[in-house]
Amino acid sequence: MSRTMVVGLASWVLGVGCWGLGLAVAQDRSFRTVLSEFTAPGIDRGVHDNDAPPLVRTSRNGEYLRGSIIVKFRPGTSLGSRRAVLALVDGATTPALSHASFDIVAIEGDADPEAAAARLASQADVEYAQARYRVRPALVPNDPFYASQWNFPAIDMERAWDLNPGASPAVVVAVIDTGLAYRNLMVRFTTTATRIDDTLFPSLGTIDVPFAPAPDLAGPDRFVAPRDFIWDDDTPVDMSGHGTHVAGTIGQLTNNNVGVAGVAFNVRLMPVKVVDDFWDAYFGSPFVGTDDVVARGIRYAVDNGAQVLNLSIGRTGPPAPVVRDAIANAVSRGAFVAVVAGNEAHRGNEVERLAEFAPQINGMVAVGAIGRDRQRAFYSNTGSYVELAAPGGDTSRGGITAAILQQTYDEDFMTSYLDGPARLRAPRFDVFAYEFLQGTSMAAPHVSGFAALLIQQGITNPAAIEAIMKRFATDLGPAGRDDEYGYGLINPRAALRGMGLAK
Amino acid sequence: MSRSLGASGPQCVVFLWLSLAFGNVAEAQTLSVRGFADVGATAFTASKSFGAVLGSRAGTVFGGGVEVRLSAPVFVSVRGSQFRKHGERVFVFEGETFPLGIRSTVAITPLELTGGYRFRADRARLTPFLGGGIGWHRYAESSEGADDDENVSGMHRGYHVLTGAEFRLTGWLGVAAEAQWTTVPDALGRNPNSVSAAFEETDLGGTSVRVRLVIGR
Repeated sequence: MSRTMVVGLASWVLGVGCWGLGLAVAQDRSFRTVLSEFTAPGIDRGVHDNDAPPLVRTSRNGEYLRGSIIVKFRPGTSLGSRRAVLALVDGATTPALSHASFDIVAIEGDADPEAAAARLASQADVEYAQARYRVRPALVPNDPFYASQWNFPAIDMERAWDLNPGASPAVVVAVIDTGLAYRNLMVRFTTTATRIDDTLFPSLGTIDVPFAPAPDLAGPDRFVAPRDFIWDDDTPVDMSGHGTHVAGTIGQLTNNNVGVAGVAFNVRLMPVKVVDDFWDAYFGSPFVGTDDVVARGIRYAVDNGAQVLNLSIGRTGPPAPVVRDAIANAVSRGAFVAVVAGNEAHRGNEVERLAEFAPQINGMVAVGAIGRDRQRAFYSNTGSYVELAAPGGDTSRGGITAAILQQTYDEDFMTSYLDGPARLRAPRFDVFAYEFLQGTSMAAPHVSGFAALLIQQGITNPAAIEAIMKRFATDLGPAGRDDEYGYGLINPRAALRGMGLAK
Repeated sequence: MSRSLGASGPQCVVFLWLSLAFGNVAEAQTLSVRGFADVGATAFTASKSFGAVLGSRAGTVFGGGVEVRLSAPVFVSVRGSQFRKHGERVFVFEGETFPLGIRSTVAITPLELTGGYRFRADRARLTPFLGGGIGWHRYAESSEGADDDENVSGMHRGYHVLTGAEFRLTGWLGVAAEAQWTTVPDALGRNPNSVSAAFEETDLGGTSVRVRLVIGR
């Protein structure tokens, strides 16, 4: 208890931001107790010794965290030089983080992180510096449920499976997202009143929340090296449903007489949780999804053998050099990365910062979305960084069934917060349904699953994977590459067949 | 200038040998027909492409045909042959070849018309010869799991020159060794998603050596 109290007190003393009170409360109550299979003794997950320094959150609509920034010094910079640079912003380094090639620098809680980062970035010894911008799932939610997956015929997937039926467990795909419904757990949370998005949600007291693996996703030895960077442990359970839906498109069990199909249904999945959602915040997770957390998740995935990284997450705002650095590192170590092109086309088409550098990294692909009519989805970003298109759904042309169907949590059991504070009730993460969702979040996992098939087929070089995807893509829109569809709609069948001598 | 007035090099060779053949008809002493069968190896000009898909730029070729001796020194032959080899489909990226594990079969079946001249000395058992002609090369490529429209089948015209020597074992039986150079221009590299396009190789021809068993006088 003492550590969490100190954290909360420190935050309170700093007197920060609109999340100040919320943080103090949240850190005081950031306990969740895991009761495995209802029988195992509870595990106090509290705050651990290796936790990051005190976080000062903005509101959930805020763009970045206060009280700290991300800094990467150039190799060979002496300790003295580092101190001198950090003194410019009254900054202090924090203990080194795992899976990170950068430092988190604590600054005053009332200091402007963007200004501090800009000042440090101009120093010769600094490779980059940035604020800790929030990253969110790239999802355009929809109402649930019809049973059809038009998305697979749209990319000739059935005939692709004739050539390569779902890759193999030798291929590991990391789902860097909101977590995954991958195991049975009963977790006890101690809740207090919490303000989220300017709405005060009441305490639910101490509640036991059930988690279960998605029936159409889980299988023996299906999941490998799970890691949670939001709760800082090895239990990245999904409290959103986004990551589970995304994982379904990558590797939903297929030909099992249950539910729906996935692209690469034999791969192993690595759940890496780097993005929080309502319930994480309400239950007081010690971390939130920021650029640095995403970067660590990427490095973690590669460190633990993932060959494909799916990032159905993103944000707008200033650039994200720390994520770019992590992705470049991942690709250089042999991992292929699929990232969303963004869902902002209808809201000003702001640049998707986690995708904008994709054309400069051979082995990373930014994925736009098409609807059932093979036209660009209304929300799918356009720009020079869009490299490929895949089905992401477009309910504006075709209704709800024109979105992407996968199994995830039944929203009726976990989205009571949408009905207002008075109707908030404990969520259940053990009740599943087949939900139609749309977004480039839904498009990217098609490409990740496709990459897994190619790896199984023998193409292990990330740059070669990108090249073959582009070469065999079905051109859409204006002839040749364009800013709406990139090189076109993925064509797994053609790519898996590869090249013959004459055709 | 109309195209009909122009003639390519290989066509000139064909014309030359056919002229020789028919020019000597007046001197013909006999008209004989001989059959032959041969086996040999061909090294393809599109060496990178064949190497990537089939694992080797060369392969065995079986053939056979009929040779008509219009006069003592002049002959015309028709020969059919086949090259057939299994490999696998690949992806070529920056010079690196990634085998994809999809079995592929390439079959080349030329039908060649050759005119030639035999340099036979009296009572000599060894007869050098040379010739040239035109051929129609059927190229077929198929792979496992492919639909019909994913396979390839087409006919391409080519030209060849050859030389060799025949040794008479008996009055009715002889053996020959010969070398042939063939060009089949623009038969490969047309599809941008082909290995041959990746390597910018367009010629289906190659250099062959073979031994031939000849039956007939």
